[in-house]
Amino acid sequence: MFQKRRGLLPYLLLAPGLLWLLLFFAVPLYYMARTSLETGTIFTGYRFDWHFETYTDAISNYDQQLIRSFLYAGAATAIALAIGYPLAYAIAFRGGKWKTALLLLVILPFFVTYLIRTLSWETILEDNGIVVSTLQAVGLLGDNGRILATAGAVIAGLTYNFLPFMILPLYASLERIDGRMLEAGYDLYGTRRAVFTRVTLPLSMPGLVAGVLLTFIPAAGDFINAELLGTPRQTMIGNVIQSRYLELTDYPTAAALSFVLMAVILVMVLIWAKIAGTESLMGAEAR
Amino acid sequence: MSRNSDWDIERALDAMTASGINRRTLMRHAGAGALSLGVIGFLAACGDSGGGGGDGKVIPKGEIADTLHFSNWPLYIDVKGKSHPTLDQFQKKYGTNVKYVEEINDNVEFFGKVRQQYADGNSGGRDLHVVTDWMCNRMKQLGYVQKLDKSAMPNVVNNIEQAVASPDFDPKREVSVPWQTGQVLLIYRKDLTGGDLTSVNDLFDPKFKGKVTMLTEMRDTVGSVLLGQGVKPGDATLDQVMQAIDKIEKASNDGQIRRFTGNEYTRDVARGDSAAILGWSGDAPQMVSDNKNVAYNHPKEGFMVFTDSMQVPVGAPHAFTAEKYMDFVYEPAIAAKITAYVNYVSPVKGVREELAKTDPEIAQNDLVFPDLAKAHSLKTFSPEDEAEIDAAFQRAIGA
Repeated sequence: MFQKRRGLLPYLLLAPGLLWLLLFFAVPLYYMARTSLETGTIFTGYRFDWHFETYTDAISNYDQQLIRSFLYAGAATAIALAIGYPLAYAIAFRGGKWKTALLLLVILPFFVTYLIRTLSWETILEDNGIVVSTLQAVGLLGDNGRILATAGAVIAGLTYNFLPFMILPLYASLERIDGRMLEAGYDLYGTRRAVFTRVTLPLSMPGLVAGVLLTFIPAAGDFINAELLGTPRQTMIGNVIQSRYLELTDYPTAAALSFVLMAVILVMVLIWAKIAGTESLMGAEAR
Repeated sequence: MSRNSDWDIERALDAMTASGINRRTLMRHAGAGALSLGVIGFLAACGDSGGGGGDGKVIPKGEIADTLHFSNWPLYIDVKGKSHPTLDQFQKKYGTNVKYVEEINDNVEFFGKVRQQYADGNSGGRDLHVVTDWMCNRMKQLGYVQKLDKSAMPNVVNNIEQAVASPDFDPKREVSVPWQTGQVLLIYRKDLTGGDLTSVNDLFDPKFKGKVTMLTEMRDTVGSVLLGQGVKPGDATLDQVMQAIDKIEKASNDGQIRRFTGNEYTRDVARGDSAAILGWSGDAPQMVSDNKNVAYNHPKEGFMVFTDSMQVPVGAPHAFTAEKYMDFVYEPAIAAKITAYVNYVSPVKGVREELAKTDPEIAQNDLVFPDLAKAHSLKTFSPEDEAEIDAAFQRAIGA
């Protein structure tokens, strides 16, 4: 009796989550896969006929936007890491009684809608605004230079919008590091640099891995930043998917591009997990 | 049941996953889980589309219902406090309470929202919707709208302005009745351009490089550029349209055109990020009153107009009442009240005379009563050609 219950219980516990995934992930995924292999227009109706050419056409027509998406997302992730790591480190080790307040400040922008947050960057970076005129005054930007409607603005917007996703997991793993580990490192005549690279960094690796994924994945599929802060020369794959789907009612190409995006992200995630996720890097023995 | 069995559950869960879960892998999984977020939004692409409704018969005459569901764009009818006086008048006259819903912000978004319902012959409770010409045409081609009984609408028959009475996609106005007409104008910042803009071709002047925006609405932008090239948009060939799109794409790639926008150009112009743009007549007066440096002009080559029209979707529960409502707003006195508030071009004859009595200033306004001899709209191409044009334009604007 008891044996039997023990066998069923984990499945029962998993049931709500699995059902959710089935309904809102597996089923839509199936329809999307199906749609991507259909041909037709809204006027003729869509017919399923294993049309794989949609994929090859989509990739060759939108290779630029695909590459751009991953470049921008990669740059935004790198910058977010460069900004986020020291910040998370400072909050975790030097935050003291201000820890909670500082973390709240990190999350605070999230109380404002994503769209509004991005729109406010339009105002900050405007051609006649304080940022541009200051940069022009110190000679970093030409007289006719601008920031808004450039690749830089799009990457900055992506970085800003996803920065908390980088900081929070980093903070979570840094905060858990036992201070005595660091002391032990110094006791063994480790330099500050050696203690950081051989103790702190490996111990914070789980947060770093999660932060990079949580930043890179949504950034690669984003279209709001490119639309509001960029020009037609900065459009990302998300913009193309939106245009194909809404403007052109070309549902097969939109679905195919979504799958291509997912596949490329999946491959990159697996490679990243392979590089960053090996036991020595993750410091399992350091637990 | 104490700690012991709790531990059992945990171990059982662990055993289910081959690797076993520790905090690290859990976090990694959490990261990968974010993948699924992007997918959920794409649910809508399922199911087949096509056919539905539109069997050629006109809406039968019937009783006037006590409710009417009217879907329209924001700020597109007269307002007084929290009520709409012309809707109140309609209720007084026919006893019908109009459920007025401002749910349409964008033609393609609205289409995406109602497509599945309309394809199933279900209007989602709507009796009337307002969409732009080309979308009216698409709705008609897909059989999503009902054929109107013109004999139930004498005011529409008698009072419709000649300029909007017979568009090529619906020459007898059998499936669409114009609501308002808007114009595409040159809007510019005098302080930044250093003078007045009079021609569409001024937008291609290298002086304004990076300070020009055009509209994401294909017909408005391409039609205006065609006019600049001396081509009448109503008679344009596919080649001429494609040449105009090439010109736009080149200007975009060269950095001449900063970006393509919807209404958000109002902010760009206000900030001075753009100095010379294509914009809509409905926004121009407000922009001028907000900033004295803003000015607008009808392009000398002629200007594009777009007409938003009322349609009765298939399955509309109160189709006959919807016809009565359309007839009601074609009374010049009622149409004049709406015009006085929205400042678009009315499709109803006699509005100017009504306004001369009540709002003489508006009756003299050349945005509300423009020279319609110079108004143009883009020809309706075959669905295949339209698809080719739309795709080329989307490529030109970066997507």
